[in-house]
Amino acid sequence: MYVILVYDVNVARVGKVLKRARRYLTWVQNSVLEGELTEASYRALKSDLARVIDTREDSVLFYVLGARKYTRRELMGVQKGGEEWIY
Amino acid sequence: MQKTLYLFASGRLRRKDNTVCLESENATKYFPVASLRDIFVFGELDLNKKLFEFMEEQEIVLHFFGYYGNYVGSFYPREHYNSGYVILRQAEHYLDGARRLELARRFVEGALANILQILRYYQNRGKELAGSIESISRLLEGSLPACGRVEELMAVEGNAREYYYESFNVILDKSPFTMPGRSKRPPTDPLNALISFGNSLIYAKILTEIYKTHLDPRIGYLHSTNFRRFTLNLDLAEIFKPVLADRVLFHLLGKKMLDLKDFEQQGGAYLLRERGRRLYVETLEEKLQSTFHHRRLRRNVSYQTLLRLELYKIQKHLMGEQPYKPFVSRW
Repeated sequence: MYVILVYDVNVARVGKVLKRARRYLTWVQNSVLEGELTEASYRALKSDLARVIDTREDSVLFYVLGARKYTRRELMGVQKGGEEWIY
Repeated sequence: MQKTLYLFASGRLRRKDNTVCLESENATKYFPVASLRDIFVFGELDLNKKLFEFMEEQEIVLHFFGYYGNYVGSFYPREHYNSGYVILRQAEHYLDGARRLELARRFVEGALANILQILRYYQNRGKELAGSIESISRLLEGSLPACGRVEELMAVEGNAREYYYESFNVILDKSPFTMPGRSKRPPTDPLNALISFGNSLIYAKILTEIYKTHLDPRIGYLHSTNFRRFTLNLDLAEIFKPVLADRVLFHLLGKKMLDLKDFEQQGGAYLLRERGRRLYVETLEEKLQSTFHHRRLRRNVSYQTLLRLELYKIQKHLMGEQPYKPFVSRW
C-alpha cells in the first residue's frame, strides 16, 4: 500500500515523530512523508508513533492508497525531498 | 514491497535515528530501513561497524562494486534462517555425483531454453537466427542428455553461449555495437562491458534472495564449490541472465538509450560510465518489479519474486518433495 503521512504535533514532539516515521517512509517536505509499505510495517509504524504522541493535542494523519494507479501527484514550486532509490 | 537501494553518490553511510542515512557533501539523505532489501554500493562510501551491526539486525545485504564497476564483495549478514537439515541435503546432493549432475543439468537446460526463447523472439521480428537456434537446440536436445560429467555440461553450456553471443551481431545489426566474442576480466569492448556489468548485478541480486532462504550460497552444483566462494547464485544466474540481463541489454541498445559515448576505455578495458550504469540499473529494476501471470500460482508475480520462487523449488528438490524444473520463459 502507498501511505502519505502528515502530522501536526506539539514542537516538543516533532523530532520524535519525524525520527520514527523516517524509518518507514521518505521525507517529502516539513511534516509530510510518504512511501510504499507492507500491511505489517504500516501497523508497526502506527504503534511506533502511538508511543510518542500525546493523543490529546497531537494529530497524525495517514492517507492510505491501495494503489497509486488512479492517483496523480503534482508539484508546485520547489521539490524539497522525495523518494530516490538510485542515488 | 522491499526496495533495492543503489548508491552512486559518495559520502558517509551511517546509522542515524535507527535508519540508514547518507551524509554527502551537499545533502543528508535518509532511506527508510523498513522497506530496504539490499544496497548496491558504487560510490566511495565511508562506513563503520555500527552500520554493519545495524544491517545485520535489519537483515540487509550490502553489495560492493569497485571503481570499474567490478564486483568487490558482499556483506552477507549472519544467517538468520538456519537449517541444518537443508545444509545437509545440499551437501548430500553435491557429494553424490549422480545427484549433483542431475541438478547441474537442470541449470544448463534452463539456461539454454531461456537463451532459445530470446533468439526466437528476435527471429519472429525478422532477424536471421535460424542457424543459431538450430545449433543451440541441437546442444539442448542432443548433447546435454548425453553428458556424464559436470565438466561436460560446462563445455556444452560454453558452446551454446558462443553461438548465442555470435547471434548478438545479427540482433544488433545497424547498431554501433558489435560482438567480437566474449571477453571478461577485463571486457575488451563496450558490448562485453555491458554484459559483464549486467551479469555481476544478477549474481548479487540472487545472492540477496538466497540470504532470505535456508539455502547456503556456498554450495553450488554446476559451479564447483571451492574455498569460500559463493557458487549457488552463479548456478541460478545461468537461468536468469538471458531472462533479465540480456533483455535489459537489448532493450537499452534497441531503443538507442545507450551509445558508444557511455563507455570509456582504460588501458585495454572498456567501462560503462556512470550515466550508463544508472540507466542500466534503473531499467533492470523496472524489469524486476514488472509482473506477469504465474500459471501455477494463478496470480501475478514480479520477476523479483520469481527469483525467490526458483530458490524454493531448489529447496523442495533437495528435500525430495518435488524434482526441480528450471524456470523457462514462455514469452
